[in-house]
Amino acid sequence: MSALKRIATRYASLIAFIFVVLAWELGCDLFQVPAFVLPAPSAILTAFTTLSPSRWFEHTWATLEVALLGFAIATAIAVPLAITITRSKLVSRVVMPWLIVIQSTPIVAIAPIIVVTLGAGVLPRVVITTLISFFPIVISTATGLASVPAEFTELSRSLRASRNREYWQIRMPYALPHLFSALRVAITLAIVGAVVAEFVAAERGLGYLILYSTSSFRIAVAFAALVILVASSLVLYGLITQLQRRLFPWSEHRG
Amino acid sequence: MTLRRLISALLAVPACTMLAAMPVQAAELDPVRVQLDWLPTGDKAFFYAGVAEGIYRDAGLDVTLAPGRGSPDAVTQVAAGNADIGAAGINALMEAYAEGGAPVKAVMSIYSKPPEAVFTYEGSGVTDLASTLGKRMAYSMTSAPWPGVLRQAGLDPDEVNMVNVSPASLAPMLAQGQVEMNLNWVTKQPDAEALMEAAGRKLKVLPLSEHGLEGYAYSLMASQRMIDSRPEVLARFITATREAIEFSIAHPDQAAAGLAKVVPESDPAILEGQLRASFPLIDNEISQTEGLGVFEPQRLATAWRWVAESDGYAIDAIDPAALIDSRFLDTAAQ
Repeated sequence: MSALKRIATRYASLIAFIFVVLAWELGCDLFQVPAFVLPAPSAILTAFTTLSPSRWFEHTWATLEVALLGFAIATAIAVPLAITITRSKLVSRVVMPWLIVIQSTPIVAIAPIIVVTLGAGVLPRVVITTLISFFPIVISTATGLASVPAEFTELSRSLRASRNREYWQIRMPYALPHLFSALRVAITLAIVGAVVAEFVAAERGLGYLILYSTSSFRIAVAFAALVILVASSLVLYGLITQLQRRLFPWSEHRG
Repeated sequence: MTLRRLISALLAVPACTMLAAMPVQAAELDPVRVQLDWLPTGDKAFFYAGVAEGIYRDAGLDVTLAPGRGSPDAVTQVAAGNADIGAAGINALMEAYAEGGAPVKAVMSIYSKPPEAVFTYEGSGVTDLASTLGKRMAYSMTSAPWPGVLRQAGLDPDEVNMVNVSPASLAPMLAQGQVEMNLNWVTKQPDAEALMEAAGRKLKVLPLSEHGLEGYAYSLMASQRMIDSRPEVLARFITATREAIEFSIAHPDQAAAGLAKVVPESDPAILEGQLRASFPLIDNEISQTEGLGVFEPQRLATAWRWVAESDGYAIDAIDPAALIDSRFLDTAAQ
């Protein structure tokens, strides 16, 4: 009995997932839900075969390319910015209101303007993705950098450590759990950002495929694209967790 | 070192992909960027046929087609210099002029009849304009020119319950019976028909051109920069597009197949149906009398009157003739 309970506990999420998919399939069948309202899981599975694997890869890579580039740029801007904000009150006072303004602006609303300004191509999509994903990284990293107990920084100063050393040896390690939590949030936002951008302007990508399929009422194909999007998000989320586990195993239980 | 390699790899991959995606342009072909108004559906197949059948290439043109997100988007992209040519509803250009102007001119009409139609189903009770009163109509973004059509027929538009929804929701809502009708383009008939059939309903279409609506619609537009700096290329593009349209009307199956190759996620039968549904808008008694592509001043003024009436502009807000540059069409006709 306890062994069964152990197995049930271990695979609880998988069992729940299978249960939901089965209920979905049965529900669609039982209530005769039209495919254009909600396709059954079996129809979604079949929809994967309507496109060749190379075409699926083309769409998936188009989205991932934008998401990963936007995420990389967001991280490259956000971490130094967070350090600067925590180091200088003046910079913090000048920059913070702008960060909040950017975060409060619905990017979906200004996305068409960004596309018109930056033209066709990958650039506007990357900019949209960066704008959507960089804010949590700045805020979490800055929070982590500032949350170092005062006695640590006082000790560092009493030993005449430089400010740089204080940041790299005390504050940054302290901020790592915050940073990785933010990176996990940001990577899922980057996928959302890439899809938003493709809704506005794109000739390829999973977001474009969803738009195209729904406009021609092939909802099962749109759902199949959604499945890939969710799977991509989960894989990237897992990769960041693995990266943290490998590089900074000690930082895992503090965030 | 490892980190540096990782960064180089990260930067190199997208750079390589971007390089690989760049079209190889033969030196002797003139590049032309065309901004379409919507996704690559069957009613845009003639542009793709122009590419697939080598019609543009034979005219010395290297044409790149970009799907768009609506007519205003296409006009804006051309005005902003992101495209040389736009294919969009002329009402969007009229609105752009009424709002202050745009460095864009309409150079050829494609639809000489408006594509708007009421989609309903058998048993909905909608059979003519008068029977739409008291019923629910879904539309997307703009309900123009519907209120004007009703007013012209002496009916009160306020008596129809209008519901604004996303384009993808129009047909499903009708199939579900959540509305009795929607405002659509006749070119959407094949997909809507298939969807309604799946829901056990029979689609009925009331083209508004049969209920008093007149004027030009889908048109080719060019940026002022294109007109000024490459008029000869523009004239060749217009001639080739006309040829591509004529080819598509003669061989709709081939035109649809050409598009299906570019858009493998599409259904070739639906694409062909959409293309065929656009033929009465292109090839009709107007285009046969006045010539394909021509903007006849009186009909153009009528098109503007509908836009002015629908959007609440003063009738003298613009001179519709100022939107048109038909010199290239004349050259093409010769």
